[in-house]
Amino acid sequence: MNWTLLDRCCEKCTHSPENPCPDYIECRLSGPLCHDDERCRELRRQRIEELRYGEKGAKIKVPLASCTLATGAEAVYQAVEDAVKKMGLEATITISGCHGLDFIDPWLELSAKGMPTAIFANVRPSDVPRILEEYFVKRDVSKAFALKERVGAASGEDRVPLLSELSFWAKQYKWVSRNCGVVNPESLEEYVASGGYRGLSRAFKLGPEATIEEILKSGLRGRGGAGFPTGMKWRITRQQKATPKYVIANADEGDPGAFMNRLLAESDPFRIIEGLTIAGYAIGANQGYIFVRAEKPLMAKRLQKAVEEARRYGLLGRNILGSGFDFDIEVILSAGAFVCGEETAMIAAIEGKRAWPRQRPPYPAEKGLWGKPTAINNVETLAHAATIMAEGAEKFAAIGTEKTKGTKMFCVTGAVKRVGAYEVPIGTSIRVLVEELAGGAPEGVKVKAVQIGGPSGGCIPANLLDLPLDYETLQGAGAIMGSGGIVVIGHENCMVDVAKFFLTFTSAESCGKCIPCRVGLRVMWSILDKITKGEGTEEDLQVLRQVAETVRSASLCALGGTAPNPVLSTLRYFTDEYTAHIREKLCPALVCSALIKYRIDEEKCIACGQCAMNCPANAISKIESGKYRIDESLCIKCGVCYTVCPVKAVYKVAGASAG
Amino acid sequence: MEKLEGSEEVSVLPDKVFEGVPKAPHGLLEALRRVQAVYGYLPAEGIRKAAEYVGVPFAQAYGVATFYHQYSLEPIGKYRILVCMGTACHLRGNSLNIEFLRTLLGLKAGRKTTEDRVFSVEEARCFGCCGLAPVVVVQKPDGGNEIVGRANPRTLRALIERYRRQERGGAK
Amino acid sequence: MIDVVKVKIDGKVVEVEPGTTVLEAAEKAGIEIPRLCVVPGLYEGSSCRLCLVKTPAGRLFPSCNYRVFRDEEFLASTPDLWEMRRVNFELLLKFHRIECWACERKSSCSLVELSKELLVDGIPVCSECPLPPSECLLLKGELCLGMITQSGCDAECLVSGGECWGCRGPITREDILERAFTHYRELGFDAKDVVSKAEIYWNSAPGFATVKKVAERAVSRG
Repeated sequence: MNWTLLDRCCEKCTHSPENPCPDYIECRLSGPLCHDDERCRELRRQRIEELRYGEKGAKIKVPLASCTLATGAEAVYQAVEDAVKKMGLEATITISGCHGLDFIDPWLELSAKGMPTAIFANVRPSDVPRILEEYFVKRDVSKAFALKERVGAASGEDRVPLLSELSFWAKQYKWVSRNCGVVNPESLEEYVASGGYRGLSRAFKLGPEATIEEILKSGLRGRGGAGFPTGMKWRITRQQKATPKYVIANADEGDPGAFMNRLLAESDPFRIIEGLTIAGYAIGANQGYIFVRAEKPLMAKRLQKAVEEARRYGLLGRNILGSGFDFDIEVILSAGAFVCGEETAMIAAIEGKRAWPRQRPPYPAEKGLWGKPTAINNVETLAHAATIMAEGAEKFAAIGTEKTKGTKMFCVTGAVKRVGAYEVPIGTSIRVLVEELAGGAPEGVKVKAVQIGGPSGGCIPANLLDLPLDYETLQGAGAIMGSGGIVVIGHENCMVDVAKFFLTFTSAESCGKCIPCRVGLRVMWSILDKITKGEGTEEDLQVLRQVAETVRSASLCALGGTAPNPVLSTLRYFTDEYTAHIREKLCPALVCSALIKYRIDEEKCIACGQCAMNCPANAISKIESGKYRIDESLCIKCGVCYTVCPVKAVYKVAGASAG
Repeated sequence: MEKLEGSEEVSVLPDKVFEGVPKAPHGLLEALRRVQAVYGYLPAEGIRKAAEYVGVPFAQAYGVATFYHQYSLEPIGKYRILVCMGTACHLRGNSLNIEFLRTLLGLKAGRKTTEDRVFSVEEARCFGCCGLAPVVVVQKPDGGNEIVGRANPRTLRALIERYRRQERGGAK
Repeated sequence: MIDVVKVKIDGKVVEVEPGTTVLEAAEKAGIEIPRLCVVPGLYEGSSCRLCLVKTPAGRLFPSCNYRVFRDEEFLASTPDLWEMRRVNFELLLKFHRIECWACERKSSCSLVELSKELLVDGIPVCSECPLPPSECLLLKGELCLGMITQSGCDAECLVSGGECWGCRGPITREDILERAFTHYRELGFDAKDVVSKAEIYWNSAPGFATVKKVAERAVSRG
């Protein structure tokens, strides 16, 4: 049908964006409210059914998010279109974001009336015709990855697990990410059909002060890393007298290994927009900005599209839902600077200046964008706020720990079987995330440490995996919650190299404004570089600690202030690796290239020549026996030969380089 | 935003280059991006035009152009190869991959673009596709992006060779 | 609306107008806090981090930038603050191009003053020499070791009309030494002669090996 849930059901409805009805949102699903008509109710029921199963009773959902696109989802989409046409299938093709289960990308979700909704994993374009044939024609789900429910109408149904039974789903508490991979991110209708915008509607009915009360009651703390109570931030900003006020959504997710915000923005952008609108209403700001990281342009595109849709239906603009509140949003794409994640640097960036942080006080709540009161919140925080306003503060406060309520999205990457984004209650242990949700380390790899909080965080050794994930505990252990990125480090990685890696990042991203960060991080890096080359001394360690302390305490902003954390935490927990590099000129993990040599085991070598062909330095040549040998003086330790050898004849040994 | 055909001697920005960009300081980042999309980098005159459009002093716009990673004040390669230096990608070998690419393309001593201006290799910050680490993204001349997941020297060498063939084919 | 605020710094109380910075309040109290980057009316400061002060609870703020609006207390001269300033200043000097022998402003230079106050090495005796660059003894053919010697002695020898013999000890930063030896060569001095003269006081100085290394490089370059 042409009718959508967002349209008027009949002539009796008086709503329009220019003349809005305050009950518009509630009425979408449970209406009609202002009059009684079974036909209007039926209209809604039919449409909800259509959204569920497609207009023709059969639906194919293709996830199009950065992670799935990178694994070929676009080609899968094309294959689906082609197959549907070829087979003459009466099916609706739609898109969604992603669940966060990266390890099954790209996936497909098929649904049909009377059939269990089925998810197929790791789909290649060539698999598509077969999958569609099996599901829609043969009604066979035996090769599906998981089902969403069992209806007893398909063959093989009892053999395929339910998604809700699988550990990496069951252990999650999908509060803020409930729509990810479920709804079409470009459809406002689907968002509203899933319960969206009830939060804003309720906020308008409660009024701004009571809205702030609700957020305070929920115990929501900023999910960007600082953990500042959101309700308090809004209250302080509201209390300021200067106008105009602003709200900013921090979508500059820059921690390497963190993609929670990317996932949310690409899969459920309306939730973020609703949250930002609620924030604007609560503090009294009529203009909002969403500042998006340059490296994640699809985020900006989806958010921009959602803003335009919201405007079309009067959920942004003047007199939203008849509340008397005007609000609009501009999406700004950054141009590549990690420091923009820092509140005051982001403000400078939006003001069209170099992204230099500013000394606080005064805090942005008092003097922010253009010197006016500004509230900046992370996109996950805003998504939580929208959900809390819709579902109620008690529900949120019922989960989590005493000091920190609710759930948090975490991304687990690195040495794990199931890289993905997982949402769990605060207080869940690291072990549950790493082993039960992410499946633990792959065959042959042992977990050595877990890096939490990105370049601002610390490395926690494997024996502390039972620590709960909450702000205070992690800080005590030398890490930080940060934005929620967890990188699992296997035994084949060198912790000194890891520390140096993070310093390479932070020293390059230093904005340059203050001495400790600008110079101190470079000095720390060069000491670590010396150590990884086997040239470090005990004295170097002393200087390293001294400089780290000054950088930590004297830096202007949190970039410099937290940059020493990876060094300090690896010094704390992995002192023996540092000692080995310094005293024995040895890299125990055989990573630091100056301290290892690559060799070919001539007995294993099958003389295929792959190593020599691929060596970029022409360092490998055939010897008299016909086997291959590496010339150590030419070897640049790039590791290609190690990767390409089909029989694993290339191996690494400890040993300082000759040349 | 289409790239102009022909040589790099472009002295005129298309009329509609700033269409949709707010005429205010917060539009500067986008204005500079549009200029870079035309020239492939930011010549001084382009920065000046962007500054004029959004209404900030040239010096301020120049400060912004030199601050952010994605702006280049020198020409970049036709194929811009961005190697993700995120944590997961580093742990899974991108530090070796970037060395490999630099050696393969003869890029030494801080040079990021090949002599023939066909390729440039740069470190990039995390793209958020950590499930496919290590990730390499190629920004192609047609404006599209090719995302290479699980990159290793073998696949990267094949990639370079494929682009070289395309280049040779296109030159005819 | 209060019109006077009491600020306690290192135990001393001063009364100031609300909105005064802690740095200004400290000046009024006669307490000197080092600073480099704040230029009233031009730059708001908070960059060099030398002026950091501490609240009794341990929170750090740059005194040049923190404005007081109610009675507050700060510590400005604790040992750990001075240690932080010393390390911070050393970091600043680390990549700084130091060529006091050629600098007209050497007699009114904040870096020179601070290096004396914070006891940081790396700045040569030239910074304390009373002669301007145009009247440098080297230009008169006299072999003065000022360029490669640590300052801090108030350049007594230069003040009394003689040249520097290096008794305070060698500078060990190689980039400064490199430039010094280049300058010696430009003025017609042999690196070997420089080293011989330096040996008198530096024979057993730990930094002498570095000086000799740089001198050898200068000689081999020809």
